[in-house]
Amino acid sequence: MTLDMRRSAPKTILVLGGTGYIGPHLVEHALARGHTVTLFNRGQTKPGLFPGVEKLIGDRNTPSGHNVLTGRTWDVVYDLPTTNPQWIVNATAALRGNVAQYVYVSSTAAYKDFTRSFPDETHPTQDPAPISGPDAAGAAYGPKKVRCEQLVQAAFGAGATVVRPGLIVGPGDLTDRFTYWPVRIERGGEILAPGTLDDPAQWIDVRDLMEWMVRLGESGTGGVFNAVGPRTVCGIGELLYGIKACFANDAQFTWVPQPFLTAQKVRSWGDMPVWSYTGASTVAFCTSVIEKALAAGLTFRPLATTVRDAMTWYHARPAEEQAKLRAGMSAERERELLALWHAQPREGR
Amino acid sequence: MSLDRRHFLKTSAVLGGALGVGGLPAIANAFTTAGVRVSRPETGAAQPTPLRILILGGTGFIGPNQVQYALDRGHQVTLFNRGQTNASLFPSVPRLIGDRNDPAGHDVLKRGAWDVVIDNPTTNPQWVRDAGRALGGRVGQYIFVSTISVYRDNSKPNMDESGPLHAPTDIDAPFDRNAQFYGPNKVRSEQEAKAQFGDNVTIVRPGLIVGPGDLSDRFSYWPVRIDRGGDVLAPGTPNDPVQYVDAHDLSEWMVRVAENRTFGTFNATGPKTPTNIAELLYGIKAVTTSDARFTWVPADFLAAQQVRSWSEMPVWMPPTGRTAGFMAVNCARAIAAGLTFRPLADTALSTLDWYKTRPAAEQEKARAGLAPDKEKTVLAAWHARSR
Repeated sequence: MTLDMRRSAPKTILVLGGTGYIGPHLVEHALARGHTVTLFNRGQTKPGLFPGVEKLIGDRNTPSGHNVLTGRTWDVVYDLPTTNPQWIVNATAALRGNVAQYVYVSSTAAYKDFTRSFPDETHPTQDPAPISGPDAAGAAYGPKKVRCEQLVQAAFGAGATVVRPGLIVGPGDLTDRFTYWPVRIERGGEILAPGTLDDPAQWIDVRDLMEWMVRLGESGTGGVFNAVGPRTVCGIGELLYGIKACFANDAQFTWVPQPFLTAQKVRSWGDMPVWSYTGASTVAFCTSVIEKALAAGLTFRPLATTVRDAMTWYHARPAEEQAKLRAGMSAERERELLALWHAQPREGR
Repeated sequence: MSLDRRHFLKTSAVLGGALGVGGLPAIANAFTTAGVRVSRPETGAAQPTPLRILILGGTGFIGPNQVQYALDRGHQVTLFNRGQTNASLFPSVPRLIGDRNDPAGHDVLKRGAWDVVIDNPTTNPQWVRDAGRALGGRVGQYIFVSTISVYRDNSKPNMDESGPLHAPTDIDAPFDRNAQFYGPNKVRSEQEAKAQFGDNVTIVRPGLIVGPGDLSDRFSYWPVRIDRGGDVLAPGTPNDPVQYVDAHDLSEWMVRVAENRTFGTFNATGPKTPTNIAELLYGIKAVTTSDARFTWVPADFLAAQQVRSWSEMPVWMPPTGRTAGFMAVNCARAIAAGLTFRPLADTALSTLDWYKTRPAAEQEKARAGLAPDKEKTVLAAWHARSR
């Protein structure tokens, strides 16, 4: 927690996007550290956010959408929402030479072969998607991210910072992929827990990621970084038991082995969020090597803090959103699976 | 504090219900550092009828929690003790002075009447007898803090209050505070409580009481060790059962027991549902920013390395043989009678915060837990073996 907490010289910061899930956390922290922030977006999402901050309006899908950036200078630009390589082409054309550092938020989905455990930053990446042409729009997420990375690096060289986060969690996360667990555990009773305690789990609190990215801008750190947590290799048991510690109820876990779950068509990650296992097509997302980011000052809040804040945010959401999570399994499905599991012959356990 | 008591605390393998030890019981705010979820258990919102509560002791580990909670709920509290431990605590609370080891020590209790007397620090059955004689029927309810160490047989999980007890000590013999007589003395004290106060008795048998102010270090070891980080020796298997009760939860429930005039005998430990050592250790880690990683070392290897359960590996007993039920006592009666539990995160964080306020010398010389050098040696031996 003490790494790099000194104030750096104030920077001028341009944030592309900045009003979605992760952006506001970055803007807030940058402002708190005394930097000058400009937002660039369509002005449609949460236009009332940050009334004191300069806002430039442009639609990145239009050919001249980035024109408002031309001729301005900033120390650092953060590109948060981009999957479309054409956006990078246009943004770098407008900003190159006027901005020292371009921080691009990529993804661990950039890696080829998600079934391979412990990818570090040298792990092979997907073949990049085309920038334009008939196959561009329909390309997969990972290949698009790879093309975007390459375009940023070609334009900014040593001034390019590519951040590859894993699962980003905390207040504002509308995917519910982490939230499922605290919500489920808060409800109590018998809980279906996937695999074994030691199956790998990784996530990162959105504030830890954004605050670190602000510090990368302050120190002008370029390069490619996996960015996920926690600090040490972590099992799903540590995650679920850690979440349970934040509540006082009758929650109890029934650990159901992976082969049984697979036979019941329970998917890691989607049905059982954050969970993966050796050989699964999601294991790369849960075993990223983060030594480089740690050396560059990435730090982590206590899990209990993430849980508390995620739940405070969750309970403030509209009732219908709370009732219908976008990840995890329904209470009904969980009950069915637990009943099936308990009906297994003893040897099967 | 006498050397005897230090020795007792350091070496005893018993569950302390009433270790009214000295020192400053900082009632730490649980949410001062990292800040975890504030989810207070339901404790009944309605303001209770004010009671006149006499607390014997009241200035040690659990007592101050009772006093504060009782005052917050509008009760009139009087303390009775020697006036030596934390004498400046609760200056507005009337204090009767007496030394319970003194034949006339309880005389000051011969006047006045109380709805409830809570006897916290007593292991000596003579103290119960003398208190009963002095109070002479002017008490509506007598709540005695006993211990689950009263049980003779710890081999069966899920044991309720009807479990067989140790043979009691002789009340007329000189009091022997040796740890081996802790359970028998408590059994005799329970009997004496019933002899003195009849049906108006509540016997509370806590397990391991933990939290800020606990000078035994039997729980604190884990938050402190995990906070320090690195390779942490974890005992047995992740599924081994554990039980403990936060001093706040216990103390507050006892006040509610008084409010509700709940009588009878109660096992009183937690958490609410069966909990294992992995839930405890991973749960504690969740309130830290530590890089701790756990290496689970089986019970037989620990025994061969002369690592003692409970004292060196606190909160843990192998769930086999004579101790198979030691960490799996049935508390359904107390839960039905309103015992509630804070989140572990709250207990872990408040314990850690409190621990860091203790004098450096105390922090360095913990009374329970594995010495760092020994932990390293055992881990090295384990890693060498499993390679």
